Amino acid sequence: MRLPMKHGYIIASVTTAILSVSASTLAADFPSEPIEIAVHTSPGGGTDTTARMVALTTKEQLDSNVFVQNRKGGGGSVAMSYLSEQSADGYTVMAVTPTHLFTMMRGNAPLSIDDIQGVARATDDPIIVMVRGDSDYQTLDQLVEAGQQGTIKWGGTQVGGVDHIAAMSFADAADMTVSYVPFDSGAEFAAALSRGDIDAAGLNISETRDQIDAGEFRPLAVMADERMGALPDVPTLAENGMDVSFSTVRGYVVLKDTPSDRLKILEEAMLDGMASDRYQEYLQGIGLDESSIAGAETWDQQLHRMYEAGEKTMTELDLMQ
Amino acid sequence: MEPILTGLSILADPIAIAVILLGTIIGVLVGALPGLSSSMAVALLLPFTIYLEPIPAISMLAALYCAGTFGGSITAILINAPGAPPAAATAFDGYPMAQNGEAGRALGMAAVSSVIGGILSLIVMVLAAPALARIAHSFGPPEYFALAIFGLSMLASISGKSPVKNLIGGALGLLIATVGVDLTTGVERFTFGIPQLYEGISFIPILIGLFAVAELLSQADVVDRAMDRITLKAIKLPSRDDFKKVWKTILRSSGIGTFIGILPAEGSTMASMIGYNEARRWSRNGDKFGTGEIEGIAGPEAANNAATGGSMVPTLALGIPGSATAAVILGGLQIHGIRPGSYLFENQPELLYSIFAAMLVANLVFLVFGLVGARLFSRISLIPRTFLWPTVFALCVVGAYGVNQSLVDVTIMLIAGFIGFWLKRYGFGAAPIIMGVVLGSLVENSLAQSLIIFDQDASRFLERPIALGFFLLAFLSIFAKPLSNGLKGLKRRRAVNGGHS
Repeated sequence: MRLPMKHGYIIASVTTAILSVSASTLAADFPSEPIEIAVHTSPGGGTDTTARMVALTTKEQLDSNVFVQNRKGGGGSVAMSYLSEQSADGYTVMAVTPTHLFTMMRGNAPLSIDDIQGVARATDDPIIVMVRGDSDYQTLDQLVEAGQQGTIKWGGTQVGGVDHIAAMSFADAADMTVSYVPFDSGAEFAAALSRGDIDAAGLNISETRDQIDAGEFRPLAVMADERMGALPDVPTLAENGMDVSFSTVRGYVVLKDTPSDRLKILEEAMLDGMASDRYQEYLQGIGLDESSIAGAETWDQQLHRMYEAGEKTMTELDLMQ
Repeated sequence: MEPILTGLSILADPIAIAVILLGTIIGVLVGALPGLSSSMAVALLLPFTIYLEPIPAISMLAALYCAGTFGGSITAILINAPGAPPAAATAFDGYPMAQNGEAGRALGMAAVSSVIGGILSLIVMVLAAPALARIAHSFGPPEYFALAIFGLSMLASISGKSPVKNLIGGALGLLIATVGVDLTTGVERFTFGIPQLYEGISFIPILIGLFAVAELLSQADVVDRAMDRITLKAIKLPSRDDFKKVWKTILRSSGIGTFIGILPAEGSTMASMIGYNEARRWSRNGDKFGTGEIEGIAGPEAANNAATGGSMVPTLALGIPGSATAAVILGGLQIHGIRPGSYLFENQPELLYSIFAAMLVANLVFLVFGLVGARLFSRISLIPRTFLWPTVFALCVVGAYGVNQSLVDVTIMLIAGFIGFWLKRYGFGAAPIIMGVVLGSLVENSLAQSLIIFDQDASRFLERPIALGFFLLAFLSIFAKPLSNGLKGLKRRRAVNGGHS
């Protein structure tokens, strides 16, 4: 009895020693191969463009190539199945947006929130409650009142996506009636808002900065915990007693089991890349600032928080299917 | 005037000219090779453009886009495999011409009408871009619905096959377009649990299947029969008489393309379809369309290239891309810190004019490329079928796979191929099916959006003058012929009756 036990112990400790040696030598070599960023959309659009910028600036920090591969389909589930089939070696990074979280919640993904590890966040673009500049709604209260008495036509992207769930959560919290008009892209419902086809919309600042500056659009509230640096006078929904916080976030994850030293290398390279002038100019161009950028810890926590909040909202509003 | 001149001054910058030329050549190549798309090429070039100044960078991508649209017609004519969706309508008569041994004539006509369409639309753009941007902005869901209805009104007459069969084909196309998650309900339709179908069936595999694979199967059917060798007239370019015949078609299609192109949505594909249909409607040889009529090439080619220039207007002024490639160019703008939107024209008007200048250069370059290349490429139609088609099949598989790197797309292509082959045998054409697929989601989504906007009151469509105009056009497009025939019949009867009394 004792001998095999001892054997087992020795084998185990030798294995551990070998593994730790190989892990550290591997970390020293990492990355020695190209790193892929899997994106769940076709080329073009914010997620793809941001990923290409991140790939470019991260590559400059590493000795390896970093490239974007479009793996479109299933609201991110094609990219997620691809990631789940790769080994946890840090060479496959996946771009994550709220879409991925909703796909996970509906049980349509081979990965769960506990299978992924956040590396870095590249953009954080809160949803803003927006009306036309010449609209009768001067304040959030006026909009809410109108929505309690009648119906507000609200523009957003596809039903079941982050815009829809944000609009429904807001309507629920404010006890107002919203008639949701879905469009293919933010630019389309921004145009619809300025034509007057819809009464209000949940828009990002990246899509509307010029219109806000010109007074064509009036921001009434921000769906975030804190006010935005670019819009210091616009209150948050939280200030109005509504716990509704939704944002178009884009960040990067690897598989949970990825060695921590590799995670660290990736995180540093991405953050250094995002600190570069080139990335900062890109952020400014789309109306954001450096508060968009976050490291592994903050981003990973945010992912979990968003997941829990989203799950709660979807169950309460009966949007699971 | 000053921003126009500043914008055009890009043509004096040697680096800008060099990258525009590079963009044009890459564009023609990726447009012509199935499996490489101009949207993918633009995406791959994006990181490199960062080392350029914004204006040459965007000009290069715009030139690539322009040339890619033209490049797609080369394979459409030679092997019935449109390299890009806007070239689909070019295959209707282009491929029959190549089969009749007139590949060079078809390719030459495609090049010339593309260039004329492209340049005419650019002139309109330079003169009136801000006004056109306002038109594009006034197009909301109700206007799109009316436009889509006008498009669908052409279904019965788009090919020379029987109107009933055309309508059945169109319905099949609409059915294909319903696959995927519905925009307004979030419900998955006909996805059978396949995640790749979640965003709908991609256009390119359907196109390659219905055209090239179906043709391959038909060719396999007759391969044991002796064939006349196609003579060397295949490399002949179009004659002066040809141009005399088509100049009206080119002008008409350029106008259609310029207008449809400024509307965000699959602008150039729709423009080429409408361009083809109008060419057929106004031609004296309308019933010969589909068998190799040269007007059937001029119509769609002038329209789709006119629409390509036009589609930069909604992309820049509204941030709504007119096509997959324009979507990537939009990303390119953002990488260079340029925010698309109505204020772009006020803040940086010279950017717009530089892009138009770049597209102008692209048009002139591929005119040369197209005419020289026509003699060269047309020899492909001399390759014996037993060698040509297996190669085409390999290209088809690569082409279907390449769009999304997805084997599901290859399967879709094969299924579309078998269906296309079978439908062809029973006298159905590909044109109405493609039209149905192109318009399907547009007509459905814009109707659903409009009804929510109108509080479910359909009569409020009548409050929108542009929509009303398109409904009227749709009505005329369906009933003009029966009505005029009826009137003629009435007159004749009156004349006969008059004679009796």
